[in-house]
Amino acid sequence: MAPRGGRAAAAASSGSEDEEEEAGFSRSYFLAKEKEPSSGKKRARAAAGKLSDLNLVDEQVLRASLSEIPPKHEEEVEALTRSYKDQYRNWLFELRCGFGLLMYGFGSKKQLLEDFASTTLTDFTVIVINGYLPSINLKQVIATIAEMFWDQTKSKRKRQPGTRSQLSQPFPSQSFDDIISFLKRQTSDDVDDQVCLLIHNIDGPALRDAESQQCLAQVSCCPQVRVVASTDHVNAPLLWDKKMVHTQYKWSWYHVPTFAPYKVECVFYPLILASGGHAQTTKTALVVLQSLTPNAQSVFRVLAEYQLANEKEEGMPVSSLYTKCRERFLVSSQVTLNSHLTEFKDHDLVKIRKHSDGQDCLRIPLVSDALEKLLQELA
Amino acid sequence: MAAPPGDAPLTAANNIQPFFVLHKAAAAAASSVPSSRARRRIDASLPSSPNPKSAKRSRDVDVQDEEDSELYEQLRLEAFHRTWSKIQSTIDEVLRGINLKLFDQVLQWAQESFSAVRAIAKPCHAEVQQPYPLLTDVICRRIPTSFVLTKNAEFVDDITTFRDLAEHLQSNGCHLAKLSAAELSVKHGVGGCFRSLLRQLLSDVPDVADVYSLASWYCEAENYDQPIVIIIDDLEQCSGDVLGELVMMLSEWVIKIPIFFVMGIATTLDAPKKLLSSEALQRLDSCKLTLGSPSDRMNALVEAVLVKPCAGFCISHEVATFLRNYFFRHDGTITSFISALKLACSKHFSMEPLSFLCMGVLEEDCEEFWRGKFEALPQVIWKYAFGLPSCSSAKNSSNSSNDMVKGLSNLLKLQKDWGSVLLCLYEAGRHDKVQLLDIFCEAVNPDLRTQNASNSDLFVSKVNSEKLSGVKPGSGDVFMAQVMNAIRYLPMKTLLHVLEVWSNYVKGISEINEKVKELQSTTIDADSARTAKEKWTRRSTGSAGNGTAPLNEKAAMLLQDVTRKYLVPVECLPFHEIICFKNVSVLQSALIGNPRRMVQLDLLKSQSHLKCSCCSRSGTAVSGSLHDTSIMCNLAQEYGDVINLHDWYISFEGIINSTNSKVKRKSYGSPSKKKSKSTPPESEAMIQARFCRAVTEMQITGLLRMPSKRRPDLVQRIAFGS
Repeated sequence: MAPRGGRAAAAASSGSEDEEEEAGFSRSYFLAKEKEPSSGKKRARAAAGKLSDLNLVDEQVLRASLSEIPPKHEEEVEALTRSYKDQYRNWLFELRCGFGLLMYGFGSKKQLLEDFASTTLTDFTVIVINGYLPSINLKQVIATIAEMFWDQTKSKRKRQPGTRSQLSQPFPSQSFDDIISFLKRQTSDDVDDQVCLLIHNIDGPALRDAESQQCLAQVSCCPQVRVVASTDHVNAPLLWDKKMVHTQYKWSWYHVPTFAPYKVECVFYPLILASGGHAQTTKTALVVLQSLTPNAQSVFRVLAEYQLANEKEEGMPVSSLYTKCRERFLVSSQVTLNSHLTEFKDHDLVKIRKHSDGQDCLRIPLVSDALEKLLQELA
Repeated sequence: MAAPPGDAPLTAANNIQPFFVLHKAAAAAASSVPSSRARRRIDASLPSSPNPKSAKRSRDVDVQDEEDSELYEQLRLEAFHRTWSKIQSTIDEVLRGINLKLFDQVLQWAQESFSAVRAIAKPCHAEVQQPYPLLTDVICRRIPTSFVLTKNAEFVDDITTFRDLAEHLQSNGCHLAKLSAAELSVKHGVGGCFRSLLRQLLSDVPDVADVYSLASWYCEAENYDQPIVIIIDDLEQCSGDVLGELVMMLSEWVIKIPIFFVMGIATTLDAPKKLLSSEALQRLDSCKLTLGSPSDRMNALVEAVLVKPCAGFCISHEVATFLRNYFFRHDGTITSFISALKLACSKHFSMEPLSFLCMGVLEEDCEEFWRGKFEALPQVIWKYAFGLPSCSSAKNSSNSSNDMVKGLSNLLKLQKDWGSVLLCLYEAGRHDKVQLLDIFCEAVNPDLRTQNASNSDLFVSKVNSEKLSGVKPGSGDVFMAQVMNAIRYLPMKTLLHVLEVWSNYVKGISEINEKVKELQSTTIDADSARTAKEKWTRRSTGSAGNGTAPLNEKAAMLLQDVTRKYLVPVECLPFHEIICFKNVSVLQSALIGNPRRMVQLDLLKSQSHLKCSCCSRSGTAVSGSLHDTSIMCNLAQEYGDVINLHDWYISFEGIINSTNSKVKRKSYGSPSKKKSKSTPPESEAMIQARFCRAVTEMQITGLLRMPSKRRPDLVQRIAFGS
């Protein structure tokens, strides 16, 4: 395999001209298409090696080594990141001109952006959104921004008393539209009042849906809000339509590869050599659950609620699940419960473990946040 | 890097909180308004700066320099804001002007419809608030609706149009509300729509949004006697069911509460038929209006913003060509054109140290402004100014501020002449469907100039003609030739009109003005002579030689002459760098991010970014010292659209291990401490961990899709090329 890889590298590194690159790319596409395992023989070859043939280490060990991977090119990476420091002034200038900055290129840009924010954006109030997390409540974010503006105007009003300074409702309990229209009303000539929203991975899993993007776009075109964001996914531009790009976000793109390891961003992805690479996600679980009967959904809900209430425990004993479900008239016998459980197990919604006292325990392989979100969406 | 957060443990609060406040704005009260401070300092430093003899210690100079650079940055920012707001307001004005006819039509329609509705019945306040219908006749349940055909494939251009329309109607007394396609969706339902309506009309919205609250609001004295217009700007995107329901509901009330619709349609008039049920359609009393075409708008825009540089800022030939292509090939929306122009403008002010001088154009006395600014310039910028490529070879380089002020004034004057002549060209070509943007791109082409330029031209600085003559003559003055050709075949009536318009454009240039007048007077003679000419057609051709050549020919000659003399592209003028943005690659990369291509290139050619010594020397083979993900990405190139994880891992392991053993051998052979970390062969677990991380990183960048359950050993490649 190695020499074949070598040829690819040769093809990639020999051509420095743009056209050659293009040719290389299209060549690799056709190469890929050619190699598609269409015939039976090729299919057999493609499927020849199995992961199970490898001497895979235990997941625990794997995770332990993961945190000890020695960094490569540490100096060069740092030098590269440092080289962007010269551009900070220009970035600030553009931000002040009313554009949003969008950073892309390979490598984690978390450190770069936070450094930029803390050294150069000192005149702004900076709010960071960690878009790589599996779930984010954007309404909380905009409520926080709104509160910030509220405090600012309040402190200003103190100097000139006599004006109304009562909020009809605290922001978190107002509707989304109300908060946005409050933010849109915030205008001031003072540049020091501006808030900068620093969004790591604006294309992250929790922000990838149309609704979140609409929300962010609306926030980003509020007069006193500026946005600095990073994207990693190659298809990120597909998230936005023309209106968002030209009239709301107003992106100015910057290609800033850092080659810094995606340390935090990686945490929420399954390890390919550990869980078979297909860990359950909220989305897939939701799809499965929605296709089940209401009773089965309710059984799952019982289990999920238990797990949320007893996070420390290894899981819910089957017997107590049965009792709970009977109490709520969800199942009439152990047999019906078992049929539900089989369904769950088949779709990886539930994992069975032996409890330390020997009992079978059920556990949903999702973190609490994701589980809560799942329950919300299921409702 | 100050306190790099990346080094904090992974579980640090900042990393796992969905959001947090990094810092608050540095005490707003502490810093006074910087721009005023800036101006003060410039005045203060006025006498001292130009002569650097005041021997300061170098550190002081540095500090001074830094302060200066901040100061000038502030100035440039201010200049940007003023320049762009001028451009933006010009754009708004132009677009509003173009649409004004339509707006008036809509207003007239609204007023007529209102009187029609009132003619049927004029309910008193008590009646309005009664729930049962006033009249049961079907005719009285039809909502006057005007469909506005926008003729735009992209909706984004219409946002401003409808915004302006709303303002226009509102300023003429109508009550106004807008419903977007997002609101008219199944998710919000008709209830959500109605709530949004109330939110826009009523000052405070009751908890229960219903028609009665609208009715009682409408009965208030100041609201009565005006129609309510609801604008739905993007009809095709709305949910037909929700809109239908809204129409049915409001139509029951239309006599009591005169609500009218204005709906924007991007496709054809069939759209409402496709969208709405026949029942709902029956309740609409429609009227059709049409918006101007995008190319008209574009022409007007180019004229106002680029040809008559309203705020001093202009663009070079390369940038113009790029913007033109961006407009025609990218999406053809005015909005994206404007935002590209804005980006160009901000890049100009951010990169060009002297760009703040553009502000002078907006001042009443620009020469005075420039003189003041020049005298305060620090030595560094001063030198820079006279080192600009466009003026470095100026003949009498005494480098005084007078020179520069004169240079700039001259630049502006020539620009103005250039614009006037270009408009003349366009006026002539317009009848032959020449677009202003096309001809503009040709007119700013400095190559063309050097082609046409006679050997002794006062305006063109030598360096430019020398530099540019090396460039191959561009393929073209296609459009200009077309114009020249067109004018020869213009019918007399049109030609007269063209001359009329010309004399208007060239008022500022007396020389041409006279010639145009001359031509016009001959036309009058020609007119009177026409009858004679018709009689003796044959003979008139004979006398064509002595000054009575057909008028068209004369006009063409004049135009050619004028073009040669006055159509000096800005890039051929000294000091043009100050007002002209030229850096097309910067603009392109900021405007069109191309992550699909760039991220793959990053990985395939990581050496070019990292500039390390270890990877580049290994030549063709994939070196183990490359970034792990880079190795994996290189390996993946050889697979089809699915990658066998097992094979991939084996080759990855092979590369890592071969490198390790090489390093080991080397460190035995030469005791140089170049690679002091002579590692033992990596443990299996470590390699697996590195493999996992590389796969995850490729997944984050979207180059891979995780294995499906059916084929757990295969991952899918997604991106192949840009």
